Amino acid sequence: MRLSLRASSFDWPLWAAAAGLALVSAITMASAAKTVNPVLAVRHDVWIVIGIGLSVAMARTNYRQWSALAWIAYGLSLFALGLVEIAGAVRLGATRWLSIFGLSVQPSELAKLTTMWLLARYLAGQPTPLPPRVVWGSLLLVAPPALLILAQPDLGSASIFGAIWLGMVWAAGMPRKMLAGFSAGLAVILPLGWRHMHGYQRDRLMAFIDPHADPLGAGYTIIQSTIAIGSGGLWGKGWFAGTQNQLSFLPERHSDFIFSVIGEEWGWLGCVAVIALFGLLLLRALRIAASSAAPHGRLLAVGVFSWLAYQAFVNMGMVMGVLPVVGVPLPLVSYGGSSMVMIWIALGLLQSIHRQER
Amino acid sequence: MNRLAQLRLVYLVLFLVLVVRLMHLQLVRGVHYRRLADQNRLRVVPEEAPRGLILDRRGTILASNQTIFRLAVVPQDVADLPLVLGHVSTLVHRPVDALTRELKKARSFSFLPATIVSRVPKELAIQVEEERWRFPGLMVKPETARHYPLGATAANLLGYLNQPTPEELPLLKQYGIHPKRLVGRQGVEQLLDHALQGKAGGLVVEVNHRARQIRTVGRRAPQAGATVVLTIDAQLQSLIEEAFGAQPGAAVVLDPQTGEVLAMVSLPSFAPEAFVAPDSALVSQYLRDERSPLVNRAVYSAYQPGSIMKIVTAAAALEHRIITPKTSIVCSGAMRIGDRDFHCWNRDGHGPMTLSEALMQSCNVYFMTIARRLGLEPLRRAQETIGFSHTTGWPLSEDPGHLPRRRLSEGEIALLSIGQGEILATPLQAALMAAVFANGGWLVEPWVVKTVADRPVGKRTPRRKMPWSPATIEAVRAGMRAVVADQYGTAHRAVSERITIAGKTGTAQTHVAGRTHAWFVGFCPVDQPRAALAVLAEFGGSGGDLPAEITKSICEYLSLAPL
Repeated sequence: MRLSLRASSFDWPLWAAAAGLALVSAITMASAAKTVNPVLAVRHDVWIVIGIGLSVAMARTNYRQWSALAWIAYGLSLFALGLVEIAGAVRLGATRWLSIFGLSVQPSELAKLTTMWLLARYLAGQPTPLPPRVVWGSLLLVAPPALLILAQPDLGSASIFGAIWLGMVWAAGMPRKMLAGFSAGLAVILPLGWRHMHGYQRDRLMAFIDPHADPLGAGYTIIQSTIAIGSGGLWGKGWFAGTQNQLSFLPERHSDFIFSVIGEEWGWLGCVAVIALFGLLLLRALRIAASSAAPHGRLLAVGVFSWLAYQAFVNMGMVMGVLPVVGVPLPLVSYGGSSMVMIWIALGLLQSIHRQER
Repeated sequence: MNRLAQLRLVYLVLFLVLVVRLMHLQLVRGVHYRRLADQNRLRVVPEEAPRGLILDRRGTILASNQTIFRLAVVPQDVADLPLVLGHVSTLVHRPVDALTRELKKARSFSFLPATIVSRVPKELAIQVEEERWRFPGLMVKPETARHYPLGATAANLLGYLNQPTPEELPLLKQYGIHPKRLVGRQGVEQLLDHALQGKAGGLVVEVNHRARQIRTVGRRAPQAGATVVLTIDAQLQSLIEEAFGAQPGAAVVLDPQTGEVLAMVSLPSFAPEAFVAPDSALVSQYLRDERSPLVNRAVYSAYQPGSIMKIVTAAAALEHRIITPKTSIVCSGAMRIGDRDFHCWNRDGHGPMTLSEALMQSCNVYFMTIARRLGLEPLRRAQETIGFSHTTGWPLSEDPGHLPRRRLSEGEIALLSIGQGEILATPLQAALMAAVFANGGWLVEPWVVKTVADRPVGKRTPRRKMPWSPATIEAVRAGMRAVVADQYGTAHRAVSERITIAGKTGTAQTHVAGRTHAWFVGFCPVDQPRAALAVLAEFGGSGGDLPAEITKSICEYLSLAPL
């Protein structure tokens, strides 16, 4: 197969959806960062440009040529995560960042991509339905980065690894009985997990069940976020006109709670537009997966799909009070260089798969 | 369905949940959350309205507002609180701890000044303003405070302002009153509190999550309270108060035709401005003072009327034809009723006397004699009809006084006829009684508020005509004239070359043996009375002394002053 670089070889709807989200992100960030630190909005735009650049570059490569590096990249990620444990910067009570040349890097973002890469390579050669041995083996690959991230502590990011793994092994042909077994196992483990949770995690869970039990403490964020979104109504209050946002009632409004700003300033229509853009992006990702003949490319596309779909759902769900607050950014929209760059690279990867496997 | 389609379905459903949730939050409950967002960001800062002025009938200011200077701290602007408090502490000579407590008490929003010193002299205020740049957050807050230019004059009638009690707060909030607003107490300040207070305005301020002011959203200007004009003549009021000197007592001067009160004195008085500060030493002194300076004696203290009651006894006897003006009764100095001797104040006896002479000399035996013939019911009915034991229609709280309701012995009836025993009356009731004889038989209703915001509120018609013939009234008036005009009259000291005065003295026994309350009731000028009055000196000896002298001053003033 000849490597084609013609424009028609890209999946344009995928690009369009991602670009749309980037545009929404840039516009919203200008408003959200105004009272946090206006410089962040500019920095955010720079990251978007870098991300798009890397994405296009990745799209032009053949994704298979990276397969050989999968183990090395995986090992590097684990090493970085280990380093975070030892020398990471503490922010908001959790150690998630690593400082490299004055740049704060979040290794967990890198680990998502490298882990799914190795997983795709490992699962690609297996028969369908997957033998239980392979399912357990794949779990063993996912567990180290997930556990290291859980220890940061970052329950939200750790759960993303679970979602990626589940999406991929399901697509690779995990027996239905095993899914039932894992579900049952999870139901047993979760209540036990309560005992090993950090105090703030328990508070957040309790606040999710009843935010008004501690309206100025654990429940404050979720109450203010719900007010922000709800007060936006159908049309929203307008750009730079969200009072919850501009008067700082909304915490973390430029990062994890950016969707609340969209809800307040652009209303229901803005929110639905964002969800529609995600819908388009994710449907194109699944389409690329479905149309990919090679199991490796197919699973990789499913991995990216599961990652973005789950993370977007969890973020939007938490800011509107449907899910407990876990610190997960909204893909392509929230502030954060590591996440932005990694997701754009993943989108480039999808384009590469699309071009290779038609 | 293949596995990718299943995966797609799962996330499709999850995303649909989000859309539904958004519909609920933004479309169904949007208005509710909009309100919550506004509650987050908007604060209302009340702006007090200047309280209305109180003027006397000539336009003399009785109560106004003056600018006072407070020292306040704006918490959001303070860079170094200990520095600011230390500075203030050396300026006003108060410990830092006390200032810290004041700040804690007064603090509300961080953008609003919190008063730490309630009043500083103007010079100090200027000094603070000049050095202000060195102490960010410290400011001079000019504020209006109630001012009573005449000090203690008419204080009991005007009343005062002070802090609402905790029990009153929920009630006041209902009327939109900010808890820090002062409330009118006693007198006109209480009676017309609502009209005087005006309408508070306010600023709507947008704040951020730290309650710091971001901008002003709107303002409603406060509306000043209504100006109140009283029927009082401040000059007359001062004159009477001066005439009393240190003597505790009360006096009421009113227009016998209309019932408008020209002066209402209650002494000792108090400085109403003392109540503006929440815990002034002066206030606690007033509360402890056993002479009760805070009680308006003119309406709220009831005394035995003593001999001033004889004019009613006389009228009742004339009306029931027990006597005529010419009937002569002999006073031997005492009379025996039952098994007890009742003495006249003149132990030697006045000899034979007519009604006019009996009034002039205030002969007890004469009136006890006619009271025996009159009987309890007609006497009591006359006393009650002229207003005793009933409220007068005074707009503020008053004591109705007292009359016995039970059956009385012969001796007790005799005592009742000369205003002794189980009978109590307020100075206002005594003045209204005098007015009946001044105006030819009308019991008027007293009033003190002429206009509120230029609208007249007084103007009433005589309330009740006494069931007495003009001849009866005239006969009693003749006696009252003689009391002052005749050289043997008990109040001859009141006689004036400038104005004719008529009246009746009273010297009422009290619970303290040998000490008497001194009364004078009367009117002037005799022919076309412009004023009816009652003067009472507590434990003041004889009604012919100080009360008569004060009456003379009052009437001479009125002879010169147009009303």
